[in-house]
Amino acid sequence: MSRRTAFSAQTLAVLAALAAEPSSWRHGYDLARETGLKSGTLYPILVRLADRDLVAARWEEGEPAGRPRRHLYRLTSDGLAAATAALAAAAPAAPATRNRAARPRRAPAPRRLAGEGS
Amino acid sequence: MAWLTLLLGGLLRAAARLLPAGRRPWAEAVQAEAGEIPAGWPRLHWLAGGLWLVAREANVVRKVVYWLGAGTVAAAAAWAIWLSWYTAPAADPQAVTDRVRVLVGVAALVVLPWVGRRHGWFGPVGRSVMARLVRVAGCAAMCGLGVVVVRMDTRLTHGAGVGPFSMLREIVGVVLFGALLATPIIKARWPQAETEALWAYAGTAGLLLLIALPLQVLAIGYVALILAVTSRRSPVASLSLAVGSIVGVAAGLGIYELVNFTGDLGSVLFFIVVAIMFLAGVPAGLAAAWLPRDTEGPREREARIRQAMLAGAVAGAVTGVLLTLIFVLAVFLMIVGPVAGAMAGVVGGVIAADRPRASRPGRSWAAGLFVLGRTR
Repeated sequence: MSRRTAFSAQTLAVLAALAAEPSSWRHGYDLARETGLKSGTLYPILVRLADRDLVAARWEEGEPAGRPRRHLYRLTSDGLAAATAALAAAAPAAPATRNRAARPRRAPAPRRLAGEGS
Repeated sequence: MAWLTLLLGGLLRAAARLLPAGRRPWAEAVQAEAGEIPAGWPRLHWLAGGLWLVAREANVVRKVVYWLGAGTVAAAAAWAIWLSWYTAPAADPQAVTDRVRVLVGVAALVVLPWVGRRHGWFGPVGRSVMARLVRVAGCAAMCGLGVVVVRMDTRLTHGAGVGPFSMLREIVGVVLFGALLATPIIKARWPQAETEALWAYAGTAGLLLLIALPLQVLAIGYVALILAVTSRRSPVASLSLAVGSIVGVAAGLGIYELVNFTGDLGSVLFFIVVAIMFLAGVPAGLAAAWLPRDTEGPREREARIRQAMLAGAVAGAVTGVLLTLIFVLAVFLMIVGPVAGAMAGVVGGVIAADRPRASRPGRSWAAGLFVLGRTR
């Protein structure tokens, strides 16, 4: 038995943006511009990815002039592997395009018949 | 526009404190980035997104709904207590009975959810909206039952149909209740005790208790059932709970209209029971067995019929409570309703279990960012 993880289209867009430059740290606004996602969608996705150790987060070092320190994000090694696999699986369904146009179909959810517990 | 941006920024800063310490950097990150966003609507949208993040992560909506629900139940309980204490004539022998009933019901509403905070039969509440809704609505209905009984007693000379106050009966009831509670203690202290004998002992004590104190026992039993059915460990699936509740309410209102059309309640009680079976139990069972898509899993048929029975029982119980709230004198419907509904639900389940909705690969109603499952 192995665990299968299917990502939503928005999550795939974030993973694609992070996987494009896996070694560089990206900040939220940068990712929002690239994916076209609003902050209310982007940040919950980043939170979930960080919870699953797919994304590493840290604060910018030092005190940049004229602006507050940024929160930065990068894929972990597990995250890069998961992103590569998920993007490869999604690619035949929908060619990668910028912003929300990329909407690969989600894999069918495994059903729990008669959910036996809510 | 600038003042609105300042306001939202301040709100986000304040709301971030609602988050657990480990989550706060995420709200601060949104705040830190806000300065980079072009001023005006884009920045406002960005900050609003931050507030949405906080609302999600701090479960703000859930907490607000929970406290509104708890407040509703508390208000209904307080109203029932107030009615039983201050509106009944001092000389009315029913007044004492009403106070006992109301206090027992309110105690059950306080003690059982408190017990339910621990993981077990009664709690915590299931994750679905329907589980929360049914829990709050069910507890409010039990408070409503107290209110209705007291109001009827203060207006009618015959009381609520379960006899006037009797000190002997109350004492017998308390003794029997103690005997019932002693069952798990006996089992824990003397594990070698025969299980069948203990079940027989508990069943007899429960039955006698129900005869001695019908409404009090029903109130406790129903609160316990509502908590058990809506807990995370509940065997009732969210879909079955939803179907049972909706069908139960619809059937209750339908039967009420039919009884109003027919006239005298006493002469149509048998008809009501039959109606509960056909208007609540069977449709709920049919829907609960048919609606889950076909997975061709092992023992799927049995699972569908089991859920149909549970949905039928929920529908029968909801109809029974609703009719009891309306007619008051029909308290026995709270006992007969779930039993009749469960029996009829099995019939509906057997009919629908072999013809479930076909599965539609490629479509999913699952929400959320991740869909976790197991593959071979």
